Amino acid sequence: MKTTKLASVVAILAALVFTGMASAQTDPGVRSNTGVNAGQPLASVTASPNDLAFFQTGLAQFNEHQTVTGDNPGLGPRFNLDSCGACHSQPAPGGTSPASGIFPNVGPNPQSQVIANGVVSGSTNTIPYFVFANGPVREARFPFFFDQFGNPNPNAPNGGVEDLFTVSGRTDAGSCSLQQPSFNTARVTNNIIFRIPTPVFGTGLMANIDDSTLLANHAAQANNRLGVGGAFNHNGNDGTISRFGWKAQNKSLMIFAGEAYNVEMGISNELFTQDRPLPGEDQLGSGLPANCLNLAGIGYPEDITHSDGATASTVTSDVGLFNTFMQFLDQPIPSTTSPGGATSIANGRSLFSAIGCALCHTPSLTTQASHLTSGLSNATAKLFSDIEIHHMGADLADNVSQGGAGGDQFRTAPLWGLGQRIFLLHDGRTANLLGAIQAHQSNGSEATQVEENFDLLSPSQQQDLLNFLRSL
Amino acid sequence: MHPKFSRSLALVCFAISLTAHAQSSLQSGGDFSINPQPNALPSDVLLVKGAWSSASDSVTPVPEGGRVANNVFSNKYFGLTYALSPDWTEKYTGPPPSDSGYYVLAQIRPAGTSKGTSRGSILIAAQDLFFTLTRARTALELINFNKESLDAEYKVEQPPTLVRVANHSFVRFDYGSPVAELHWHALATQIRCHTVQFVFTSRDTKLVESLIQEMSKMTLPAEAGPISGRGGGEVPVCIKDYARDENVLERVDPVFGERRFNPVPVRIIINKEGKVKHIHFLSAFPDQVEAVTDALFQWRFRPYLRDGKPVEVETGIMFGRAPHPATTPSTNAATE
Repeated sequence: MKTTKLASVVAILAALVFTGMASAQTDPGVRSNTGVNAGQPLASVTASPNDLAFFQTGLAQFNEHQTVTGDNPGLGPRFNLDSCGACHSQPAPGGTSPASGIFPNVGPNPQSQVIANGVVSGSTNTIPYFVFANGPVREARFPFFFDQFGNPNPNAPNGGVEDLFTVSGRTDAGSCSLQQPSFNTARVTNNIIFRIPTPVFGTGLMANIDDSTLLANHAAQANNRLGVGGAFNHNGNDGTISRFGWKAQNKSLMIFAGEAYNVEMGISNELFTQDRPLPGEDQLGSGLPANCLNLAGIGYPEDITHSDGATASTVTSDVGLFNTFMQFLDQPIPSTTSPGGATSIANGRSLFSAIGCALCHTPSLTTQASHLTSGLSNATAKLFSDIEIHHMGADLADNVSQGGAGGDQFRTAPLWGLGQRIFLLHDGRTANLLGAIQAHQSNGSEATQVEENFDLLSPSQQQDLLNFLRSL
Repeated sequence: MHPKFSRSLALVCFAISLTAHAQSSLQSGGDFSINPQPNALPSDVLLVKGAWSSASDSVTPVPEGGRVANNVFSNKYFGLTYALSPDWTEKYTGPPPSDSGYYVLAQIRPAGTSKGTSRGSILIAAQDLFFTLTRARTALELINFNKESLDAEYKVEQPPTLVRVANHSFVRFDYGSPVAELHWHALATQIRCHTVQFVFTSRDTKLVESLIQEMSKMTLPAEAGPISGRGGGEVPVCIKDYARDENVLERVDPVFGERRFNPVPVRIIINKEGKVKHIHFLSAFPDQVEAVTDALFQWRFRPYLRDGKPVEVETGIMFGRAPHPATTPSTNAATE
């Protein structure tokens, strides 16, 4: 009898515990039952043979692997990878960091495969400690320069990209011999931060939102009661609002593409015309050694507009093609039913606004008239961003200043396509939505009160909100 | 060869050979380090700031200078103290002031980590009425504007209403979200031309009411009121746009360098002789602080007279690129 009673109590307790576990909110994870919902051209581009040809050529160039010499020359002498599309691949070209075994299974982190694939020489390069096969793709920066004693110097801000690999040891790199930056010392000295690739879906729409629209949205949200401020990063040349990159530091997609081609792949182009040394080599040293210059043997810039091209798309430079590809990429298509069903998603969307997420993650903004294609004209960009920079607190701060953004300020990350992203936040520190939401709360963050509101929701309400986010 | 000279020559040669060796192998400095025992930077500390708040001296109180200590929030600038409930605390400090004059003064919440419907939060915030992006001129107008601009998903539970708290007049505005089942009760007053606002958030309205009751223990300056808080007495009177037109007798414009497109809101205190006594930058880059400080200390003003006697005056100036208010307050709301 006693045994029976005890068993009953245990069974009831177990049921309660498991019920509680079952109802606890969880990140639904990458949405895998609706196909790939990003990476397509705008409908108006598809309808125009010339525009579509441009888009397809841009896509091909985006996915092309570069080498030091040969048909696709210019790689290096320092670089993070040899192709735009290798990093921007989840869930489709133009996206962000991939990982094996997660829908649509693009593949392992390509940075982890560079020696195996012969992109770099294993005798002169090592895979940095922070690069793993299961991702994320990472760009590394040292917030501060090391001093002559090997200590990071807080009075000497660096913040530039420290490319992971060198061409040294490749058969097409001649005698160029470069060492990789001191990643291990940077780790020990807490002098390293990471960035993952920003998705570029829908960026043509973002580029076509007038400053007046952004300013009006800012003014409308400024009188909130949730602790949110916000500011814009301005282009240093003309003072207009810049909008691309994790800190909204780039004014246009062309600049974004030109800088990435130069910084991430080491390819000089018509916007960034020299091979790029590391920040310290450039500012504190003598630049790249002579035997690492003009490795392609074609002079500078390595990527140019081709006056001998036969068609518009073959005349255009690689950077121009990247720009066109990104401008013509449509915004991701959200699901109305997955995950969690239509009711949960609709409820989650309401909660998203009610607790204040939408103050910064502005659900939509309207574009202005476009000279490029009708799909960009007067369109509703469902970006879930105000394109402002916000103080995100000490926990997320990376101590890197870009343009007017300080070390704790980041552009409100557009959430379109979030349902099929694997890695979250600027450095990909988490793949769990709950972790990403909780990271919004720390000393100095504008989002602390909103995160507090999230914590005040019931578990089922939180689940609705998570379902909504993964429906995007 | 003299022995001392030969020893010195040997040392020099050794040093040169070391230098040559270092250059031919690993570099140190810049992006490289070969120190086997380097010093680590602290974690989770902001070392590289963008536009930030600062002041020309560290003695004069500033709005963001409030602190929670011994379970009491106190703010010398606003002259207020607010005793927290025994089990409530400030876990996270707020961000710096925004360039439109919005301050997070304190964020209060239960000290424990327990979950449940009794939880909530208190946001103590301020809006500088000189730099607000609304056209509100007083705390009352700002709260009325809050009500008029409330999104449709919220339900007004109590429209802006004048109430007495700690022997001072506040405007109270309650609203809630049916879908989130959360309630926001905001109580605001005006001090030194700022709207100072207490925003209580919870699922539990009884909890909020009990917290509001505890506000009776607050201390506030005599000026506090929905429209009356314009300084004076122990602190300077505050007057919007005093630093313009015929009040400015001498003016030197600051010259900005590379950074010149962000708003740079500045509050100044002008002494009885018409000179700048104190400068508070709500948001500015260091080079802008230097340029504006150099300029403002050369300005001369017509002393402000009250009852025929000169008194200190506090006003605001926007340098850089000033955003324009995009909205208008409603006139169809509570009045004092």
